[in-house]
Amino acid sequence: MKTIKNYFLLAIASLTIISCSDDDTPVANNVTLEFNNTFKGTPIVLGEEASTTATVNTSAMGQDHYFSELKYVISNIRLIKEDGTEIPYNVNNLDNGATVVNQSKEETLSYVLSEIPTDNYNQIKFGLGVKTDLNTLDEVSFPEFYASAGANDTEMHWEWGTGYRFTKIEGFYGADDSELSFHSGSTIEGEEGNYTQGVDAYRDIILDLPESANVGNSAPTIKIEADFDALLSGHTNTIELGEDNATPSVHSAANMELFVDNLGGNGSDDVTGMFSIISVEN
Amino acid sequence: MKNSLRNLSVIFCFLTLVSCSSDDDFSYEVVLYDNPEVDLNIPEGFPEINSYAYNNISTKYGVELGKKLFNDKQLSADNTIACASCHMQENAFADHNAIGIGIEGRVGLRNAPPIQNMIFMQAYNWDGNKLELEEQPLVPIITYEEMDSSIVEVIEKIENDEEYVELFIKAFNGEGVTAEGIYNSIAQYEYTLISANSKYDKVKRKEGETFTESEALGYSVFQEKCMSCHNTELFTDQSYRNIGFPVNPSTEEGGRSRVTGELEDYLKFRVPSLRNIEYTAPYGSFGQFASLKEVLDYLSNGVLEADNLDSILKENNNKIPLTEVEKENLIAFMKTLSDEEFIN
Ligand code: HEC
Ligand code: HEC
Repeated sequence: MKTIKNYFLLAIASLTIISCSDDDTPVANNVTLEFNNTFKGTPIVLGEEASTTATVNTSAMGQDHYFSELKYVISNIRLIKEDGTEIPYNVNNLDNGATVVNQSKEETLSYVLSEIPTDNYNQIKFGLGVKTDLNTLDEVSFPEFYASAGANDTEMHWEWGTGYRFTKIEGFYGADDSELSFHSGSTIEGEEGNYTQGVDAYRDIILDLPESANVGNSAPTIKIEADFDALLSGHTNTIELGEDNATPSVHSAANMELFVDNLGGNGSDDVTGMFSIISVEN
Repeated sequence: MKNSLRNLSVIFCFLTLVSCSSDDDFSYEVVLYDNPEVDLNIPEGFPEINSYAYNNISTKYGVELGKKLFNDKQLSADNTIACASCHMQENAFADHNAIGIGIEGRVGLRNAPPIQNMIFMQAYNWDGNKLELEEQPLVPIITYEEMDSSIVEVIEKIENDEEYVELFIKAFNGEGVTAEGIYNSIAQYEYTLISANSKYDKVKRKEGETFTESEALGYSVFQEKCMSCHNTELFTDQSYRNIGFPVNPSTEEGGRSRVTGELEDYLKFRVPSLRNIEYTAPYGSFGQFASLKEVLDYLSNGVLEADNLDSILKENNNKIPLTEVEKENLIAFMKTLSDEEFIN
């Protein structure tokens, strides 16, 4: 923690020195992450049961489905410079470095990273969910994130697991609008590297930028697509919904992992999951 | 731990500031609080202590504070429910409701288990999802169907109460009201709730009591038909098993699989301790059975089939066959596990 912070300060300090002798390029600027939640590229419109306006998707197994609720947590954001240096963005501070993307709230679809050191970046990493050491519902340390995640219209606290919900999807599937409910979260216990029980639902996402994000005179926007077609028809698993798994958080966490791997990758040969970069706007 | 470190550094900062502004003779007082450890009187032959308990030794004021918090309704959003509302001493710190009922009459998911001999348990709750007792109190505090509050809300309610402030200071060496202090003191109190003074214990320890004929016969049936799971001096081997009890209709229930993600753990539950079982009706993970007789009738008549039904039942046509006399004797034996001192 401390070393990261020192490093960061050092980076800023050295940049300041350089920029003093240089022209009037700012030492840092904002980077905006824009989350576009789609079904195969079509923006998702939410809808209640039997809605005629909701975006309906068809899975690889031929099941129609649509969502009434769609939320997920993004945290542990890191921008990687062209020279490979990683710039962590408040990765140990959920109040300043984590957000709940909520499809029903326009303002949550963009997340602004402030004071990103001037440089060219060609990769972004972030977590879908909250990494284990911070996933404790620690209201004392991170009151703002705790409050926003726990708000009545957000419901991203997983009380019994004393952690956050990482993804929460409610919706309907099939000809008779059966209920679809997917909540993910970690149940892992013990110290890092020495877990004693449970499932880790946190996934680290790594995305190469198609062109560099040039931070400095410009404040770039990185447009990210989250294609929720992956929920049932992902890189890792093809899932047919039925009585056993339509509410996967609850029946068993084994089912949950199939969906988690689809959305967030399996951590080995798939590190993108449902995410991809649409474009970088400098 | 992390919290206390942070607090320490806050104090250091503070000291630095003070020492900067005041010039030469900066001094401070070191107050040592006399807060002796509590002797837990660990009974002989009980299972090993949960190793996390060694990081949070019960002390005089820690226990006093924990007990006060445990009985304080301010831990709930509307100040109507304490831990003790669902964990009542006269029920061996269990509940007489089938399923826990929190603020505004909200009904939860499971039956409230007795809080007894927690220090000997390696995992908590019906599904064993918590391994440290200190991590457990936050769950009821924030759960919508239980207390529906938050730890900061609780701290704000109590941090100006002089009695509390004094207890926190005495219990945790001068530290004020903190979240950690709340969790640790409640656990310290719970560690002291040891039940080992039943008739069964007195017979075992040869303190002059003897089993009646019915109790003795019950004990031998128990050893033959129940002890493979209700084993050790706690009468649980702390394993997770599906024994085909009627299934909780809530889709939230997955039993042990909720924790491990293994399909084979679906609807497995931690084998419950049978100590003080006379006081903890109704029985089962969501209070399916009103009486011990009902539990035994059910086991004897046949349980629900399941892929992962315990092999002991599978090998016996999904039953533990018992005659009426055996049931009576078993119940007589189970009542020798009642510890009157513990509930008074
Ligand atoms: C609304 C009723 C209710 C309230 C209030 C409540 N509990 Fe519980 N308690 C339960 C239920 C139900 C369970 C079982 C939970 C499970 O298995 O998931 C439980 C489980 C426990 C356990 C685990 C016991 C075991 O055998 O492993 C402990 C310890 C405990 N509670 C302590 C507390 C404390 C401390 C508080 C107050 C901060 C509290 N409870 C408030 C209902 C309640
Ligand atoms: C295969 C292991 C196993 C055997 C054998 C077994 N039990 Fe149990 N028992 C359990 C489990 C597991 C539960 C909890 C099940 C649940 O709630 O779904 C339980 C629950 C109980 C309960 C309810 C406890 C409570 O607090 O709700 C009683 C009483 C009980 N058993 C008595 C007995 C008696 C008496 C016998 C022998 C005739 C016996 N059991 C045999 C595993 C076993």
